[in-house]
Amino acid sequence: MAEMLLKNAYVIDPISGINGEVMDIAISGTKIVEEASRDAEVIDCRGMLTLPGGIDSHTHTSGTKVNFGRYMSPEDMRAGRTQRKGPMHVTSGYSVPTTYGNSYRYSALGYTSLVEGAMAPLEARHTHEEFKFTPLQDSFANVLFDGNWGMLKAFEDGDLKRAAAIIAWFLIAVKGFAIKLTNPGGTEAWGFGKNVSCINETMPTFDLTPHEIITGAIQANEFLNLPHSVHLHCNNLGTPGNFTCTLGTFRNVPNLNEKRQTLYATHVQFHSYGGSGWGDFCSKSEPIANMVNLRPQIVIDMGQVMFGRTTTMTADGPMEFNLYRLHHDKWSNHDVELETGSGIIPVNYRKKNLVNSIMWAVGLELALLVKSPWQCLLTTDNPNGAPFVKYPEIIALLMSKRYRDAEFATVHPDTGSRVPLPAIERELDWHEIAVMTRAGQARALGITDLGKGHMSIGAEADIAIYPLDVDSVDPAAEYETVINGFSQTEYTIKRGRVVSRRGDALVHGENTTFWVKPKVPPAYDLNQDEEFRSLFSKYYSVRMSNYPVQEEYLHRNHCIETETDL
Amino acid sequence: MRVTITFRKQTIPTIPIEAEMITPDAFFEEKEIIVSEGKPDFRLDEVADLVIEGEAGSVDDVDILIRGDTGNVKRVGEYMTGGTITIEGDIGMHCGNFMSGGKIEILGSADGWLGREMQGGLIRCHGDAGDYCASGYRGGRRGMRGGSVEVLGSAGDFACEHIAGGKVIIHGNTGDYPCAEMKGGTVTILGDCSRVCANMSDGTCYVYGMAEEMIPTFENHGTCTHEGLLFHHFRGDVANRGNGSLYCVRYTYLK
Repeated sequence: MAEMLLKNAYVIDPISGINGEVMDIAISGTKIVEEASRDAEVIDCRGMLTLPGGIDSHTHTSGTKVNFGRYMSPEDMRAGRTQRKGPMHVTSGYSVPTTYGNSYRYSALGYTSLVEGAMAPLEARHTHEEFKFTPLQDSFANVLFDGNWGMLKAFEDGDLKRAAAIIAWFLIAVKGFAIKLTNPGGTEAWGFGKNVSCINETMPTFDLTPHEIITGAIQANEFLNLPHSVHLHCNNLGTPGNFTCTLGTFRNVPNLNEKRQTLYATHVQFHSYGGSGWGDFCSKSEPIANMVNLRPQIVIDMGQVMFGRTTTMTADGPMEFNLYRLHHDKWSNHDVELETGSGIIPVNYRKKNLVNSIMWAVGLELALLVKSPWQCLLTTDNPNGAPFVKYPEIIALLMSKRYRDAEFATVHPDTGSRVPLPAIERELDWHEIAVMTRAGQARALGITDLGKGHMSIGAEADIAIYPLDVDSVDPAAEYETVINGFSQTEYTIKRGRVVSRRGDALVHGENTTFWVKPKVPPAYDLNQDEEFRSLFSKYYSVRMSNYPVQEEYLHRNHCIETETDL
Repeated sequence: MRVTITFRKQTIPTIPIEAEMITPDAFFEEKEIIVSEGKPDFRLDEVADLVIEGEAGSVDDVDILIRGDTGNVKRVGEYMTGGTITIEGDIGMHCGNFMSGGKIEILGSADGWLGREMQGGLIRCHGDAGDYCASGYRGGRRGMRGGSVEVLGSAGDFACEHIAGGKVIIHGNTGDYPCAEMKGGTVTILGDCSRVCANMSDGTCYVYGMAEEMIPTFENHGTCTHEGLLFHHFRGDVANRGNGSLYCVRYTYLK
């Protein structure tokens, strides 16, 4: 078995409680071990920041929606072309790169695990096929349930256990990892040209409110004992004054799990807006952050917006239609039978634009105002807020007040009166950044037991080594050094192999897809359930027997079996 | 400098030759010209006879003459900034992509995407042009931005799609949807066309022949004279909150 010894590494590993200790790390095979033999390959990591491999708990890199973004924006495909080099394939694309482009660039940033934020169950095969060609990262897929008729019918009947069984059936069938709700109720309403305005409004097709769907899904999630919590994209994304809706959603979240949060609210930046229209649009990050500080059962991610071109893609169809009416550029819209929908438009976030400038500030404020870094994770909701290649800049912005002020001087001049950002003095340290980009993400996803997000003995050897000498760099002043350091790892190690060196991928890699299999008792076996079978024969264009994704599609995979309380 | 390139008869006529390096700029900089035929790459003199005479003081002194079997040679003159290219026969797709200066003269016909997204310079095609003449690429935001294109024959479908600037004259007819998504520039069609200027937001288009199946979302602003002819003046496309001008001598709506 191949062995490796990382010598004199400056290690920050928040889950193991290591904060800035110079130590050696031994790797044998795919795991981190106590000690390596004399034959081990030695890598000298003196003066280099060594962290567990990065984890992105919410990104869009694979699946039909991403692919649609690719082919509706050929101009994006022309940007960022790279040539073949060693084992690296040709790549192209900036905001929605090719699968290999995503994999190589993430690997250069030190990322070793990715969670695809939204997978439409009916289109799961495509997502899994793209996972197969994202070779340098492990993959997880959140499954969209926001408009799932089977689940909604069970909620309407008040039968939570049946809803849980339906969720379990779909998760197993499509080899998904967690429950994703995108604008619950609203996406389904969009299929009929409508939307829901807040969490207590009844949706048009079922006698349900978003609030009932969210709490129902949270309880079903705990019945099934899934590793991750419900992954929620709140209602009313991107509209002025939507923070009240977000606060209402957060207020009703019960604390049901000791090990992790009960609700993961994603890209909260887009849900923290005040004002009654675009004229008096302003930041409401403070009440949102206060609410999160009071509720340990909630974890949020930033959804940071960075300036420049990108492509927005979400299952939230009505929201994308509103954005389309605003920008009047390209727009794609899609309905997935009985399950969910989606919309895609390219956007350009500009510093000249007041609304965009406020959006930029809100994400940073959330990260700085939420006290515990374990509760606010660093994402851009790639590529919605910005492509993930901007992460190093975001890290530098969070670590340096001076950098924030320098950037703030270049945004729209009226921004200052609408956001609290200039008054925030906090500068995050290396440990907090390590939490927000790997440890916190692993704990929120519930995958620390699988050896992710930490470097203790027995953990997966996923390690990122950055050319940053923590002792001699003052991040508050030398933010350029921080950006450069985090932009390209010296080594990215994945399952005990060096997969990326100074930005170049060295091997083709062998990734794993993780999926869950809740053990549902025979009483809830939906394969024999007449009502559930009739849902397929009556409404779906696919037969029930053809629906599940075969395990052969998954290449290498790891099934997480859970005990259920049904 | 005078360059004469004579393409030999292709052994497998279905495989196109990608020749984006055939530009006055590349010959001026004395680069080794590589073309690809399918997957393998070749030096230009492996697929064509090459004669170079004289010296060039600047790009504009380079004259390229292309003859022989060129109907399947793609991307000639891509990104050229000066000089001239004369093609004796037909030319393949994407001729003059992104060109910003110089002149291309095609004595035969051109295939699709002639002068796609060009920024400047001049293209004259004595025969017909294929689909997407002077347009953007599929899904692109902007087509031709400057320069001029003259087609003495007819053009195919989607001529001048997404055009944002420059001048185009088509002496013959065009196919379906000329000037779709037009954002600027001036297009003159001396023959007939159908469904012209769909979703235009700005720019000017003249149709000297019959505009068939006119899009109903254009406002009729009466008649006016232009170069001695009576034109019907339309503004639109209202569906796109557009403010473009469409002038046509005759038009019919779809029955």
